[in-house]
Amino acid sequence: MKVLLMGHPNVGKSVFFNRLTGSNAIESNYPGTTVDYTKGYMLLENKDVEVIDVPGIFSLEPKDRAEEVSVKMLEEEKDAIVVCVFDASKIERGLYLALEIIEKGYPVIIALNMWDVATDKNIAIDVKNLEKILGVPVIATTAISGEGIAEVVSRIGEASPVKIRNIIKNAGD
Amino acid sequence: MGLSVDERWDLIDKISKETVTFGKYKHTLKDAVGELTIKPLTGIPIAIAVLYGLWSFFGSFAGFFTDGFFVSLFDEHFLPWIQSVFPDKGGWLYYIFVGDPLADNCFEAFGVLTSGLFIAIGVVLPAIIAFYLILTLLEDIGYMPRLAVLIDTILHKIGLHGYAIVPTILSLGCNVPAVTASRILETRKQRFIMMTLLAIFIPCGAQLGIMEEVIPDTMGYVLIYLLIGYFILGFILNKIIPGKSPEILIDVPPYQRPMLRNVRRKMQMRIVGFFKVAIPFVLLGCAVVNILYKGGVIDWLANVMSPLLSGWFGVPDETVGPLIAAFLRKDLAVAQLSAIPMTSYQMITSVVLVSIYFPCVATFVMILKEGWKDLLGSVAVLAAVVFLYGGLIHLIGILLGVA
Repeated sequence: MKVLLMGHPNVGKSVFFNRLTGSNAIESNYPGTTVDYTKGYMLLENKDVEVIDVPGIFSLEPKDRAEEVSVKMLEEEKDAIVVCVFDASKIERGLYLALEIIEKGYPVIIALNMWDVATDKNIAIDVKNLEKILGVPVIATTAISGEGIAEVVSRIGEASPVKIRNIIKNAGD
Repeated sequence: MGLSVDERWDLIDKISKETVTFGKYKHTLKDAVGELTIKPLTGIPIAIAVLYGLWSFFGSFAGFFTDGFFVSLFDEHFLPWIQSVFPDKGGWLYYIFVGDPLADNCFEAFGVLTSGLFIAIGVVLPAIIAFYLILTLLEDIGYMPRLAVLIDTILHKIGLHGYAIVPTILSLGCNVPAVTASRILETRKQRFIMMTLLAIFIPCGAQLGIMEEVIPDTMGYVLIYLLIGYFILGFILNKIIPGKSPEILIDVPPYQRPMLRNVRRKMQMRIVGFFKVAIPFVLLGCAVVNILYKGGVIDWLANVMSPLLSGWFGVPDETVGPLIAAFLRKDLAVAQLSAIPMTSYQMITSVVLVSIYFPCVATFVMILKEGWKDLLGSVAVLAAVVFLYGGLIHLIGILLGVA
């Protein structure tokens, strides 16, 4: 089993990655810091699990070399669990990519990262309801200070593929 | 069976309506600062002030440690000591490792353990630390994307867009990560232009540090020639290379207070990287050039290349030694140039030549990793540029009556 960290550029995937694995992926406050993938290991239920920090992408249609790396990575790792890292203050964009990945049949778990920024901007997200609609684990995180990381780790096992029509049905009522 | 783009957005609309509520947003001080630094009227003067401030910091920080500490450590204590304890004065090994037994400073000794160590640790290390401290702060605060937006218009003229400022600035530290960072540019044309311009015209931090130390008076002219070359070549490449140069499309993130933990870790990684990659190459470069001197190869080459060097470029034939060292390390090459007697205009020309004539071996390997076709293209462009631009600088010197 492998864990892929995917999401838009500059949402804090590398910070997340370093928190999970204790590695030293370069973190900066600008989009496009990670242009190649970085691998590391985390301990999950007493097993070493490979975690991959994937360059940020907007959607699964790549627009530059760094994004090509990401899409190829996803295609090669058929049995991976994908941790979708969102910028919680821009949740719609994160959902677009997450839905694309869910549609491809990957088990997904969502980290609403930069939760502190969303709070500053007075954006309130009903995490429980979002989780119910999507049928995948959703966790509020602030990777830079470490909040929510432990919960993500403990719930990675809950991720399982969901059918997009179930999500449509749940969103409709 | 996936959703269409529209269906997906419709679904997202429904989901976010049910789960997200947007409260009233207050305009904060952070937003105000963010706007001031990105609107051209205030942003451009601020950018100039920021860059100038960083430049002064770079010079004074590096100078403080080099002149204030390392020069006396190496010249007064280390050099006399190693000259006296190294066995077999006058032998081959002595020549390679210690160099000139009569030298009274580490620049002119030319040995692996004298000049090599002094350049790497005494001059370049403080410069690298200063540069990376600045770069890390700029990165973590979130200033880079703002700089990108401000400089966008200018960089479009050379087939790039504002975000090319990221590889360009990284390149001022080291060309190697900058080559990889050029992947954030969208098209192959842009990436080719970027890599070629980086490899030819952007001096790395090591080279900047050594120039600051050995040719402080002429350094400005060298940088002006490099900057002009960057834009002329970019302009030409943009005209002749087929392909598209799309618009800049980036998110400008909010400013953030840099986290000490992250700054420390990044600095540490980059400095360790410098020790691992740069120091062995500086020492190796010293050794190679010394062996070639001793074997008479340099003199022979200087003779053969004379029409090109003193004829076309107007620099002393002896510059062939530093030019060979420049394959391995540009900082070493500049240091060796500074020990050759020549006029200041010849110094400007030869330092520009060392900068542009070939990317150092580490950069060369990185460009190769991005694709051998692009590498061949870059090398072809490079050969033409060195010949023409080097000749042009000589011509300008003749016209000004200084060459």
